[in-house]
Amino acid sequence: MLSVRHLTKTYPNGKKGLQDVSFTAAPGTVTAVIGPSGAGKTTLLRSLNRLITPEQGTVTLGDQELRGADAQALRQARRQIGMIFQDYNLIEPLSALENVLQGCLGQKRLLPGVLGLYTKAETSHALALLDEVGLRAYAAQKTRDLSGGQKQRVGIARALMQDPKVLLCDEPIASLDPQSTRTVMTIIADLAKARNLIVVMNLHQVGIAREFADHIVGVNAGRIVFDDNAAALTELAAAAIYEKEATALA
Amino acid sequence: MPNAVSVMLHHQRRVRWGSLLGVVALVLASQVVLRVNVHQALFGVVAGWAWLGAHFAPNAAALADLPEILYQLWRTVLVAIAATTVAGGVALVLGLAGALPTSHLKAVRGLVRLFASLMRNVPFVAWALILLFSFKQNDFTGFLALLLMTIGQLTRAFIETLDEVGPGPIEALTATGATYWQVIFQGVLPAVAAPMLSWLLYMIENNIRDATLVGMLTGTGIGFIFDLYFKGFRYASAGLVVLAIIAVTIGIELTSNKLRQVLNA
Repeated sequence: MLSVRHLTKTYPNGKKGLQDVSFTAAPGTVTAVIGPSGAGKTTLLRSLNRLITPEQGTVTLGDQELRGADAQALRQARRQIGMIFQDYNLIEPLSALENVLQGCLGQKRLLPGVLGLYTKAETSHALALLDEVGLRAYAAQKTRDLSGGQKQRVGIARALMQDPKVLLCDEPIASLDPQSTRTVMTIIADLAKARNLIVVMNLHQVGIAREFADHIVGVNAGRIVFDDNAAALTELAAAAIYEKEATALA
Repeated sequence: MPNAVSVMLHHQRRVRWGSLLGVVALVLASQVVLRVNVHQALFGVVAGWAWLGAHFAPNAAALADLPEILYQLWRTVLVAIAATTVAGGVALVLGLAGALPTSHLKAVRGLVRLFASLMRNVPFVAWALILLFSFKQNDFTGFLALLLMTIGQLTRAFIETLDEVGPGPIEALTATGATYWQVIFQGVLPAVAAPMLSWLLYMIENNIRDATLVGMLTGTGIGFIFDLYFKGFRYASAGLVVLAIIAVTIGIELTSNKLRQVLNA
């Protein structure tokens, strides 16, 4: 279980990123975080693996508390938390296989990690993951030559290389066409079930959130304004999250 | 509205003609101050080339000096390559300390940028003259002069290259639990390897040319024997030195262009 309690983040310019945010996410489920631009979705997601450090509250994964963890403990915790990004954040001059292998850097000792020395087992595992996301044939291809949807699938395989308990997805479909959107969302939703993963993802599309998520958290101005299962997200509830007329979101 | 457009066009025309007249006036004024006669200079250039052709064209006697010229050229190329590669290593460390995505200490970043600026703004000729006092006339003095200037140039270039990486790939690898050095070696350096090597090759080309001039000052390499032949009125041999330098720099340029193509493929 991933448990977030009373998370608060204020930026140096005084802007409230998060205000007393609490929710839980269970294994085998997809939790979608929705809300208008600037609502604090990205701040929330990045606070979960402490790419951003909140000043108050707790993030607990199992029995491990992340917000107060020292550098060593934080690195260990991050090994269990895979992350995929809107802009993929791949090392574009490297091949798909090399990018996927980088997912296990956190589990390697310093020198082999620095030199990029991967074992046969790690390489076989990376190839299997590329196969799982349908990109086995592209293993040797440089990622700069892949399409957006393919790059995102390499990003997913890199995150899975960590063998994570949690998968954080920061706007994973924002840069994709409708067909790639469905492919990527189906892969993520299936992975959550098949691997018993805790998936937390930021989304802009309410319809996609309803279709693929089990649990929806609505955020506005850094506060949680909705926290329920996906079926409970009515037009009216969605409109309240976005502070719009219900018809505007249809 | 059309009136506003016509006023704007009129203003643009005035600025254009004003700038042109300003440049012409500046050229004429500098000719008067420097007492340059354009007509004489133009015909002087033709006569100068004719004189060069007559005296600097290599002859059979000059060809006897070819083995020595090639040996000195080889030493010069080695000095340039050694200075550039050592400078590249130092500049990589300084670049990581001075670039925003890889260095978190603002004061360190500022110091590195200041150091790079100081190093690259002292011309290599000045470095060579300063170092001559301490290290005397030898290859090492030339090596040091090129090294110091190249450290400044490459540090600045590497900082700018690293600044362009952006936080994305660094964030992605940090999120896997990778350490700082793992992120640098597996995330940052692969992303910037091609442009950095491109800079290194460019500086090797430049330093081969500059090493010739440094050699004249430090009494070593191809620069020294060019000076020797020239001052000894052995113009044909000096001409052969110039041709050899041109051939080697073109060769190095073609090779580095090919390497760049391979790196960017």
